[in-house]
Amino acid sequence: MLLHTLNRPPTSQVLAQALAGMGSDDKLLLIEDGVIGALPAHRVHFDRVAGRLYALQEDLESRGLLSLCDEAVRVVDVEGFISMTETCERTVSWY
Amino acid sequence: MQDATSPAELMVILRHAPHGSSWLKEGLDVALVAAAFDRRVTLLFMGEGITALLEGQQAGPLGQKGTAPTLAMLEMYDIDNLLVEQRGMDELGLTSDQLMLPVTGVDDAEISRLVASHALVLNF
Amino acid sequence: MRYAILLLDAPYTSQASHSALRFTRALLARGHDVEGVFFYHDGVHNAARLAAPPQDEPHLVDGWAELAREHAVPLQVCIAAALRRGLLDEQEAARHGKQGASVAPPFELTGLGQLVDLGLRCDRLITFGP
Repeated sequence: MLLHTLNRPPTSQVLAQALAGMGSDDKLLLIEDGVIGALPAHRVHFDRVAGRLYALQEDLESRGLLSLCDEAVRVVDVEGFISMTETCERTVSWY
Repeated sequence: MQDATSPAELMVILRHAPHGSSWLKEGLDVALVAAAFDRRVTLLFMGEGITALLEGQQAGPLGQKGTAPTLAMLEMYDIDNLLVEQRGMDELGLTSDQLMLPVTGVDDAEISRLVASHALVLNF
Repeated sequence: MRYAILLLDAPYTSQASHSALRFTRALLARGHDVEGVFFYHDGVHNAARLAAPPQDEPHLVDGWAELAREHAVPLQVCIAAALRRGLLDEQEAARHGKQGASVAPPFELTGLGQLVDLGLRCDRLITFGP
């Protein structure tokens, strides 16, 4: 199981690249501008990773997005981010 | 030199076109240095990075070397596992006979398998 | 666990440097070893000795230097990427006949081989890009 990070919004072609690189039990963590993907309107872009989608709390908060975050997206803080890098075998960053 | 059948250690994913930015060049440099240290390297050209393999590239207007001369030397570094994202090829409307090096097309399932099977994956 | 960080964008250009510094600080606070922060591509600008951000903004260059001092984290800057971008330590400035160095310890100029070594030696490598 790998962790993938994505720092681009769903309008970016980088999302498709990240999804291509993901295995069936890998997790996807949205960071930086990637957290825009946590809006409910963007849920459709993340069908392939349903239940495996996370967003970084600090980056949601700084953008005023925390209260707007889709309930299907699990919110983790930077400690949680580190914890995910510990549990997942490796981390691959998509930017 | 490692056994040629041992799994590759490093996968470098090249996602940017030549000339427009230094991502492609600096990504390739990592692959070359790793190979020079006897690490087995896989190169995956993804999206616009595939255009790095087009025939007929030239130097830039101020003599920027581009990356085609480096790609032509990959064999000397024993980097022969050259993969291209099949979806990217289709989106660009390219076929492998338009490319300067022999490559293997890979789909999403293969890409995720490759990402999982390398000890280190670096995106450029 | 043994971690390495790869930072690929300039400070004050994207969030990457802030994210990387925040993550690295949190790693150390959690008791992990950070065996190196490698600066590559535009990330080498994090080593700019003369960076002078406004006082009400975080000083990223100083932030890295503080981690190096307090936690002995090696700050490794790709020499080829740095020289092209005008980032030279004293030795390289002398070699190239330039007045003044733009990179100073604890940042050290080093080869790309160090990145490959870090990535394969450490348990985890986390990349922050633009």
